[in-house]
Amino acid sequence: MSAAPLDLRAFACPLTWVKTRIALERIAPGEVLELWLSGGEPVESVPRSAEGEGHRVVRVEPAGTSWRVLLEKGAVSPEDRPWR
Amino acid sequence: MALSEVQIARWARQLLVPAFGEAAQERLAGARVRAVGADGAASAGLVYLVQAGVGRLWIDDAETVGPADVAGWLHPSSAVGTPRAESARVALQALSHFTVVAPYPRGGVPTAALVAAPSPAQCLHAAEASRRAGLPHVVVEPDADGGAVIAIPPGAPCYACSRSTSGAGRPALPGIAALSSLAAAELVQLIAAPAGLPGRRIDLVRGVATLRPTARLPGCACYPAAR
Repeated sequence: MSAAPLDLRAFACPLTWVKTRIALERIAPGEVLELWLSGGEPVESVPRSAEGEGHRVVRVEPAGTSWRVLLEKGAVSPEDRPWR
Repeated sequence: MALSEVQIARWARQLLVPAFGEAAQERLAGARVRAVGADGAASAGLVYLVQAGVGRLWIDDAETVGPADVAGWLHPSSAVGTPRAESARVALQALSHFTVVAPYPRGGVPTAALVAAPSPAQCLHAAEASRRAGLPHVVVEPDADGGAVIAIPPGAPCYACSRSTSGAGRPALPGIAALSSLAAAELVQLIAAPAGLPGRRIDLVRGVATLRPTARLPGCACYPAAR
């Protein structure tokens, strides 16, 4: 089962990752989130941040001037992680 | 209740903090914080709490604004002589419509407390009332070289167990702002991640922070009765 696609092409850092993180928080572990991102910083940093929080980057593929990214939510939610 | 687009944009930097997500932000929005003390020393921490998005901030301060309070971040010089709680309310409410700021209401039932009272006796009294009520609370303990912040989640060693008895005076303005803000940050953690923070004391002396877990003093009233 997948969540509704999230179009973040109109947003810049940090909102790209903040919105992705919240969308991941709203779905269950194992579900896939589809993102649409602009090239450059967003497509570089959002998948990296997702991996850093224990999610799996399923796919990063170009689509015209945009990028389609699929993230599978990891088993550990951000809330279960310790404060740094 | 999911955060709105405006709320996400407002707290984006906070929502980036590891372990701080939408649910944590919602817990902050549901909090009713009793702020004991609203003088110049407390003001930076009060601003922090409002900007972090606590739902209700109740100002508990019976004094009037003095000339020294104007050196903080809240009280304008025109407020000297007026009630501190009301002066703080006006200044803080202007910062955010996501927080309801009000003088501490008679019979109010807070869910957390920030204790930044002007005197050690007031701090002890307010901290003990918070402990007895089972509230997570944080105490600001300034001294001339900086001071300390003591975070006390429910069940942790109380302020009387972990306070310093040697401190006197207050640090310079940047020092007290750092201390006050640090206390507010600790309280935000206690509210947002209720099981995530142990009882601990952070000493901030001349800009250098040291952290240690708090320990219960034998015979203290906070010692669990069942033991």
